[in-house]
Amino acid sequence: MTVQAGALALFGLAALWFGMAVFRTHSMVRSAFSLLTTMAALGGMFLAMQAEFLGVLQLMMMATEMAIMAIFMMMYMMDPGGLGQMEMTHQKRLSLLAGIVGGLAGLALAVASAWGPVASRVPNPARQTHDLGIELLGRSMLIFETAGVSILVAMIAATTVVISRRHE
Amino acid sequence: MTTLILALLVGAGLFGIGLYGALSQTNLVMIMMGVELMLGGALLNLVAFWRFLHPDAYAGQMFVLIVMTVMAVEMAVGFGVGTARFRARGSVEMEEATELKE
Amino acid sequence: MNLWLLLLILAGAYLVAVIENWVVTGRLRLLAPLLAGIALLGRESLVPRLPDRLLFETAPPLLLAAAILSMAVLPLAPGTVLVDLATGALFVNAALAYVMVAVVMAGWGPDAAYAMIGGWRFLGQLVAYSMLIVMPITAVAMRAQSLVTTAIVSSQAPLPNAVAQPLGFLLFFLAAMAVAFLPPFDLPTASDLADGVFGEYTGARLAILRLARLVLVLSLATAVTVFYLGGWLGPLLPPAFWTIVKTLAVAAVMLLGGRYLPRTRSDHLLEWSWKLGIPLALVNIFWVGITLLVVQR
Repeated sequence: MTVQAGALALFGLAALWFGMAVFRTHSMVRSAFSLLTTMAALGGMFLAMQAEFLGVLQLMMMATEMAIMAIFMMMYMMDPGGLGQMEMTHQKRLSLLAGIVGGLAGLALAVASAWGPVASRVPNPARQTHDLGIELLGRSMLIFETAGVSILVAMIAATTVVISRRHE
Repeated sequence: MTTLILALLVGAGLFGIGLYGALSQTNLVMIMMGVELMLGGALLNLVAFWRFLHPDAYAGQMFVLIVMTVMAVEMAVGFGVGTARFRARGSVEMEEATELKE
Repeated sequence: MNLWLLLLILAGAYLVAVIENWVVTGRLRLLAPLLAGIALLGRESLVPRLPDRLLFETAPPLLLAAAILSMAVLPLAPGTVLVDLATGALFVNAALAYVMVAVVMAGWGPDAAYAMIGGWRFLGQLVAYSMLIVMPITAVAMRAQSLVTTAIVSSQAPLPNAVAQPLGFLLFFLAAMAVAFLPPFDLPTASDLADGVFGEYTGARLAILRLARLVLVLSLATAVTVFYLGGWLGPLLPPAFWTIVKTLAVAAVMLLGGRYLPRTRSDHLLEWSWKLGIPLALVNIFWVGITLLVVQR
């Protein structure tokens, strides 16, 4: 087994373990940090697959996003420390069934499809970053600008929804 | 080929866990966590496809950037809506959000 | 060689501690950090009554690891770098994000009100400084046409970035002080919060937290040196010497400069950062882009 397969297996196992821990723990803040660990393990997997820019980007963005999720959990949930051991789920059997079916469908597709020849040579990271930049600002410029404008719209929308009207 | 299948299996597993979470949780923030897990599984699949099948096509990495953007945007608007709801009703429990039910 | 570099980082952290001691007390005492460290390790280690044990224990090593990782991609001399990544400038940012995760964990872990307030205040501080860290790095990488940190230093051979991009230098310097929560941005460990995030830690864990903070200050001073002051470039002396001298000078200015200013309030910090800082950072990127396209062609 190559080093890459070993690293992928290790990080993948960590991602799945902490993904399950998100919904099994009673403490809300621990749940948020568990999700952070899952996302960090995903970043590790991206680095193992030699997508260096994406791996570093994933690590950076998810740290900030999950910490923000932690503070929102603390603000809006009734038992953020988890010491009350409350049961906060509904339609458990349906969702368990849906989760298993979805996972198995993905599994079956992964194993049964004919993926074609596997590429062995990957461009080196500096070349990748350079070419990704060329792609981003050349061929995919419209997509890039649309993403930028949609982020701006989301910021304005979120701020507008939250701002309370001034009572004159 | 086995490493590709391995990465796809992890992606499918994350998707299944995310789907279970998004359907079984009653709190808005926990549902969003489930959605984030599902999107994370999709991201992993995308990067695996890029790396093992088409390493020279940077449209794959472009797609990953767009999905990351979508994750951030969905979180921002979701928390904005959650904050507004919390201020109006005092909780973000989805079981109590029955105003539009007949 | 990697071991030597790690020992050098430790020695650098020790020198930053000496400088901080000099700034606070006015006397240059070379053995003070060593004696304080030994005393701290010997003290009783108190654990709060009902901490979130996992987060409480994870926070100090995570802060230390994040600080060392962010230092690892910054070069000492041409070819002397602990981890030579092709996306080095972005990796510094990623490691600094985990500093925030560690501080929030240290805030929530001890099950104490003041620590928790300190932790969440630092999250608000992150919203203020994170754009101001990334955008000047973007402008610097634009000039170097690469994210590799050694290339960024080499691109400053004609003129250091502090002179070529003064606006970016000022913003990055202030944002670096905010990342290391130095005064006047020391919201998480504020004295009005009974030392906030660090307040519930004692003994060996506090020693690790303090060491991590010193390495963090050193790492940010190195980042300012590498990105804006030309790293190892200098006339007569060996390159490593120039890096060390510039880094320690920047650390001294960071530690000295803020002590005479009152602590910023969280909302004022956010207001100044988003209403003034980010437009200036965008103007900086715009300006650098224009000069690069027009002047260098």
